[in-house]
Amino acid sequence: MLELFSYSDTGWGDEILRGLAITVQLAVVTLPVGVLLGFLAAFASMSRLRILRAIGFGYTTLMRGLPEILTLFVVYNGVGLLWNRLAMWWNPDAPLTEFSPFIAGVVALGLVFGAFAGEVLRGAFQSLNTGQMEAGKAIGMTRSQIFRRIELPQIWRFALPGLGNLWINLLKDTALVSVIALNDLMRMTKVAVGVTKQPFTFYLLACLIYWTMCVLSEFVLARMERRANRGIRSA
Amino acid sequence: MNPLDILLQYWPRLLDGTVMTLKLTLLGAMIAALAAPGLALVRTQASPWAQAPLRLYISFMRGTPLLAQLFLVFYGSGQFRPMLQDLGLWWLFRDPFNCALLAFALNSTAYQTEILRGGIMGAPHGEIEAARAIGMSQFQTLRRVTFPHAYRIAWPALGNEVILLMKASALASVITLFDLLGRTRQIFSRSFDFSVYLWAAVIYLCLTAAFVFVWRQAELRLSKQFTGRVLPVTPAPNPKETTE
Amino acid sequence: MTQPDVILRAEDIHKSFGNLEVLKGISLEARKHDVISILGSSGSGKSTFLRCLNFLEIPTSGRVTVHGEEVLVKNGRPQNVRHIEHIRASLGMVFQQFNLWSHRTVLENVMEGPVHVKRESKAEARDRAETLLRGVGLEERMQMYPSQLSGGQQQRVAIARALAMEPDAILFDEPTSALDPELVGEVLKVMQSLAAEGTTMIVVTHEMGFAREVSSEVVFLHQGRIAEQGPPDTMFTNPQTDEFRRFIAKVM
Repeated sequence: MLELFSYSDTGWGDEILRGLAITVQLAVVTLPVGVLLGFLAAFASMSRLRILRAIGFGYTTLMRGLPEILTLFVVYNGVGLLWNRLAMWWNPDAPLTEFSPFIAGVVALGLVFGAFAGEVLRGAFQSLNTGQMEAGKAIGMTRSQIFRRIELPQIWRFALPGLGNLWINLLKDTALVSVIALNDLMRMTKVAVGVTKQPFTFYLLACLIYWTMCVLSEFVLARMERRANRGIRSA
Repeated sequence: MNPLDILLQYWPRLLDGTVMTLKLTLLGAMIAALAAPGLALVRTQASPWAQAPLRLYISFMRGTPLLAQLFLVFYGSGQFRPMLQDLGLWWLFRDPFNCALLAFALNSTAYQTEILRGGIMGAPHGEIEAARAIGMSQFQTLRRVTFPHAYRIAWPALGNEVILLMKASALASVITLFDLLGRTRQIFSRSFDFSVYLWAAVIYLCLTAAFVFVWRQAELRLSKQFTGRVLPVTPAPNPKETTE
Repeated sequence: MTQPDVILRAEDIHKSFGNLEVLKGISLEARKHDVISILGSSGSGKSTFLRCLNFLEIPTSGRVTVHGEEVLVKNGRPQNVRHIEHIRASLGMVFQQFNLWSHRTVLENVMEGPVHVKRESKAEARDRAETLLRGVGLEERMQMYPSQLSGGQQQRVAIARALAMEPDAILFDEPTSALDPELVGEVLKVMQSLAAEGTTMIVVTHEMGFAREVSSEVVFLHQGRIAEQGPPDTMFTNPQTDEFRRFIAKVM
């Protein structure tokens, strides 16, 4: 049995580890994209301009209401199609390019993450103590000084639990890209199943790997939350 | 091509897929809703040792991708085919619909259990004590005081969970089921008309909106009993909450 | 051995929380029509003792007998658990925080026990509930929910809820402590008229006036023991122990 998972030609250890590496890469690359989109969405939905608010609301509502896998298909098929059409229009002789599933994964998962993160961050901004903003104004800080010196350091504390949840969801959602042929952990598991005909063993292994990552993440997040909350009495 | 044409041409298939999506979601959610109250009680009242297996189950369900759980049930059961045939259970696992339903119900049970646990813990202690003081049995206290409060508190989160389950049910298309996404992919592979994905998105959003409306109405009815009380605001639909 | 008119008897009640012994052996007897006030500074164990009488708190050891139903506790384990629910049903309880069921109307709160514990018919329970609510001056509020009432009104509903069970005695756990000062009077007035009607009551309270004017017996707890006990007239005019003397000086 152990032979199956060994790191050799006969075992599947190396293939699965390579898949795991792709999974982790995908999650790590998506995270900053998603956080950035989340900030943009939060700012848009708190904006004074109605059009920006509408865009922010539309984006977060749309992305949160759609199945993640549908978003992935739309991005993978749709953006690929669009890209090729644009390329043809620009240069009719351009070769058809295959849209990279990795990039499609980053874009789709980033869009989903951003929509949820937008809500988390908006909530965090709104739970800031307005008295502190007023204190900032009272000593003559500009709007951007207040944002940088008072708001930003504090929303971290409010947003961390929510963002932590989103990170764990992101880790799990990466499994979806196996459906669009990216050689991540899930897909490598599928390959191993195809050869060994031991689906339960290998899918259980994959589950255990994801589980370990999530439990580890939760552990680290709990420590980060404790750190972020120093100086604050727990209610 | 005009996006309306594809709708006119393929609407029976999309409708069929929508029905399948609803079937998977509602059946899965209902099976989980039957299992959750008992398990939530175990989570709140049993000794830590006795609830260890349950906690492990919940952690596993929340810490692994639903897609992997689905594969584990659907493909994984094949590894035990002779045994399952001996037990007379193979019919259950042979059918992708049953497998999807089983995976969704198992997954949602874990989440609903945790949501309801929060509700039970939020039930006002003094009112439970008053029920005990008047001579109600433990069971009566649960039925007449604790659970009414627990469901009121948990209601918005339970609604979110059903919406999340509906979105997650799109995974069924990966194991050859023709739910809404399954039909959409089928239509796309024939027509190569991208707009069918957009129609699918519209249908999913409409389903969500309709469900939110129905749930909110039920909540208003439920909270009539609590007039004057500050009701918890419906939180933004969060993806599956993982931390405790 | 039980005299016919003894309604409640608690014998040698001990209660510890971890290493902390809160009750160090308390015995008490309540006869029909008794109104017993339990006094003591905070931490004296008076509320814990009251809650031991209907087993909301399980004593570490001791014996409680109500209405011929006896529960003996040894090492924190009640020996006849099934009697606990009977004892609870025959002792009413009124809480400091009212603890009305917020998902039921005033009327439903009062009907709940008779219908679901005593299995009375709804019509019968409703009749009595309406009479009781009229008695505490709340006939106008029967269809309201507890959150729509003031604290004093809620506490009066709670008293009606206890009475609806037609209990042998009612336990009051600091019934006026959570009320705004101007609402205390209306609750005390109801309690006073109950006492005048002959209801057996055991009252943990800080209201010295009530203890002195209304009760037939006063029990002063100090550090988990009964320090002094007797009729209010003699106790207040002629305290026997230093502890009670200091207590009176502090609160009056």
